[in-house]
Amino acid sequence: MIRALRIISSNPLSLTGLVLVLLILAAALFAPLIAPFPTHNGSVVDFAFANRPPSTRNWMGTDLVGRDIFSRILYAYRISLGLGVVVLIIAAPVGTVVGLMAGYLGGWIEAVLMRLVDVFLSIPPLVLAIAVLGVLEPTLANAMIAVTVMWWPWYARLVYSIARSEREEGYVLAAEVIGASTAHITIREILPNCLPAIITKMTLDMGFVIIIASSLSFLGLGVQPPTPDLGSMVAEGARYLPDSWWMTVFPGLAILLAVFGFNLFGDGLREILGVDE
Amino acid sequence: MSPVLRILSRRLGISVIVLIGVSMLIFAIARVIPGDPARIALGPNATDDQVAAIRAEMHLDEPIVAQYGYFVADVLRGDLGESLYTNRRVTTDIAEFLPATLELVIVAGFMMVAIGLPLGILAARHRGRWPDHVVRVLTLLTVSAPSFVWAVILMLLFSFYLPLFPVAGRLNDSYDIARTTGFLTVDTLLAGNFAAFIDALHHLILPAIALALSGIGQAARLTRANMVETYDKPYIEMAQAFGFFPSRIARRYAFKPSLIPSLTIIGLDFAAMLGNAFLVEAVFAWPGLSRYGVAVILRKDLNAIMGTVLVIALTFLVVNIIVDLLIAFLNPRIRHSTRATS
Amino acid sequence: MSNLLDIRDLKLAFKGLSGLSEVLHGIDLSIAAGERVALVGESGSGKSVTARIILGLLQETPNARVSGEVEFDGRDITAMRPRDRARLRGTEMSMIFQDPTSSLNPTFTIACQFAEVMRRRDPRMKQAECDARATEMLTEVSIPDPERVLNAYPFQLSGGMNQRVMIAMALVNNPKLLLADEPGTALDVSVQAQTLRLMHDLVEMHHTAVLFISHNLGVVREFADRVYVIYRGRIVEEGPTDAIFHAPGHAYTRALMDAVPRITGAGLPEVPEVSDDFLAPMVRHDGGAA
Repeated sequence: MIRALRIISSNPLSLTGLVLVLLILAAALFAPLIAPFPTHNGSVVDFAFANRPPSTRNWMGTDLVGRDIFSRILYAYRISLGLGVVVLIIAAPVGTVVGLMAGYLGGWIEAVLMRLVDVFLSIPPLVLAIAVLGVLEPTLANAMIAVTVMWWPWYARLVYSIARSEREEGYVLAAEVIGASTAHITIREILPNCLPAIITKMTLDMGFVIIIASSLSFLGLGVQPPTPDLGSMVAEGARYLPDSWWMTVFPGLAILLAVFGFNLFGDGLREILGVDE
Repeated sequence: MSPVLRILSRRLGISVIVLIGVSMLIFAIARVIPGDPARIALGPNATDDQVAAIRAEMHLDEPIVAQYGYFVADVLRGDLGESLYTNRRVTTDIAEFLPATLELVIVAGFMMVAIGLPLGILAARHRGRWPDHVVRVLTLLTVSAPSFVWAVILMLLFSFYLPLFPVAGRLNDSYDIARTTGFLTVDTLLAGNFAAFIDALHHLILPAIALALSGIGQAARLTRANMVETYDKPYIEMAQAFGFFPSRIARRYAFKPSLIPSLTIIGLDFAAMLGNAFLVEAVFAWPGLSRYGVAVILRKDLNAIMGTVLVIALTFLVVNIIVDLLIAFLNPRIRHSTRATS
Repeated sequence: MSNLLDIRDLKLAFKGLSGLSEVLHGIDLSIAAGERVALVGESGSGKSVTARIILGLLQETPNARVSGEVEFDGRDITAMRPRDRARLRGTEMSMIFQDPTSSLNPTFTIACQFAEVMRRRDPRMKQAECDARATEMLTEVSIPDPERVLNAYPFQLSGGMNQRVMIAMALVNNPKLLLADEPGTALDVSVQAQTLRLMHDLVEMHHTAVLFISHNLGVVREFADRVYVIYRGRIVEEGPTDAIFHAPGHAYTRALMDAVPRITGAGLPEVPEVSDDFLAPMVRHDGGAA
């Protein structure tokens, strides 16, 4: 742990990533305390201040009905990060179990499971999520379902490739010889070898889930108004380009900043945990 | 059988299995839709008799397996049904909108390879030094924003502040070009109208860059990572020992063996652009498959949704087959193998 | 007698997280034209880095600090520009490596790699001329069907075959100096012995000087005219091969020699334990060229 901190802080880029991630987590957690206009989180109108460029009152300007964009971005981070955490907490274990089973058991289980994974992977991720949302109602919960459905196969494939090579390793064979159970071998022997790769992938994926979720809401298929979401804020503002540029540019940069932070940090983590790209 | 043919047949076999799976998946998604598909198709004002008639026509009262059978039989005949949104055959709609999307994706894919790979080579050659750090930060930035954010930023900068590129559309209305292939860059040339060709290209550049940016970043990062690994191989030291210049070693000795593992992922990235095209098309009012796709999704137009997803999955599989063949062709180990390799 | 290679007081240090760590502490080594010299020591003793300094490769590594003189053919290599050093490699001096199969590029045919090497000397050589010369060289290293080998990729050939290809490639431009870093250690003992004999005959015929780097005193006995023994970045003994084998003067040399019978091909010599005697001053036998 101390070694990890030393490596992170010896690399200015990874350190920047860590700081960004912490800042954004803090912004999301303490949004009600930090936001200058906490009520602008919902369907509030303040036409007196509508469509204002950035000022000392509204650092990032206001939207069409006068809501403070900075406050809405802070609340939108709550939604994005929350969605990311839920998706990964479901997708990573599901994919890991599938990958472990396919990789260690082999045979027809491997064939069936991995073909199933191939099926999911052969539809572009965003299109799959759009299709799932196409038949469900576009809500936050359904967006989570859609993104989870498209996400687990990537973990299955990652864990599968590691488990398959570990299957041939001496320590696994040794455990088999002394008669360890399948559950014991997969969970106690093989899984720990997959963890660094899974953790790194989860960090990097936080960024990508934010991208996908904001893409869905950009298309109007995710979080619905008046709940603030970075993607739908960009979509809304894009109609008023170039004059009301702040309505799109700041939410867009907010996405960039968050994802960039997770990517930088994930890259650093990869070095510490020694995971191949 | 030659190894390349064997790979092709193996790949085609897997693709057929995957396509069957995709069709089941799409069918399953279409059936979990809440509510009665017949009622949705007819709208709230239909009578019960009308609904019953449509239910019979859509085979909705038969067992689910039979319904799937009808669906597959229709698809195999090239019949994707009728769109409730446009009241036209779904195949007609797709034929109209797909070329615009493909044109965008192909140009973006070309940019990804033409810019991403050289950037990766540059970073790998100077690994650990400043060009590497610069490329790392830049590429990490490009992969850190969804393509619609890049689209908005590029549009703001290069269409509004610097009016260099058009804001929307594929071609100036003043040109009347016969749609032969649907690819306007090709059609304008077929029509012999060079000014229109330039105009089509002019419209294409900004959306293509927006779509390509994250792909460029990923291709560069991947190429760098694989090349850095290759640089540790003994044959690189041997090339250095024989006095080849660093630029030559980078291009000929380190890049080529690194390209093979990169290609699979680059193929996947290319295919992911089919999805991201939805976002870029929305910003640039590009009349492609996405506007159609989003419109039919919001209207719960089942036939059109299923058709669109199926066509995209098919395109995706074709891209993967091409990539696999390219790998087989580039990798002498596969091309000259006498035993089966996977 | 003027030497082809003269190394004087060569020092090397690497800059690491914990400051500079010195790897070579001032080495003197010389090779006359056409002479076969062996540099023997355990792994980590500094023998491989010495070869890479002669080639000019380590000088281009950012964290390496090299000092001292390396005079090759009358010119000081350490003072040269990187580009001029690169010009010498592959033409005036070349190197062969431990594992032949992984040292040849997997994505090009042998013919293609030969042509690349030959064009180092003469960029205008046509493919047909290159192939003809390569065939000649492959015949010299006793490869029975050169045409088949030329059209093959390294992974289609056996390790022994690749070893011969690499020797032929290293000698095709008639270099004055050949550096051999543990050649054939990755191969079977019998194949290794065979290729070493072949290399011995070839360099004698072409009058090529060789610096043979090995951890195995037994292997160099047949091959070298003169031997340097290196221990922890210092030369501890130097002299004609016979003199060293008949009267090893340094404790470390004797320890290495005791280790010889137990080595089978790829095994590293098991020098029993570290002894203070190993740090004793250098022993120089008369009759050496230096």
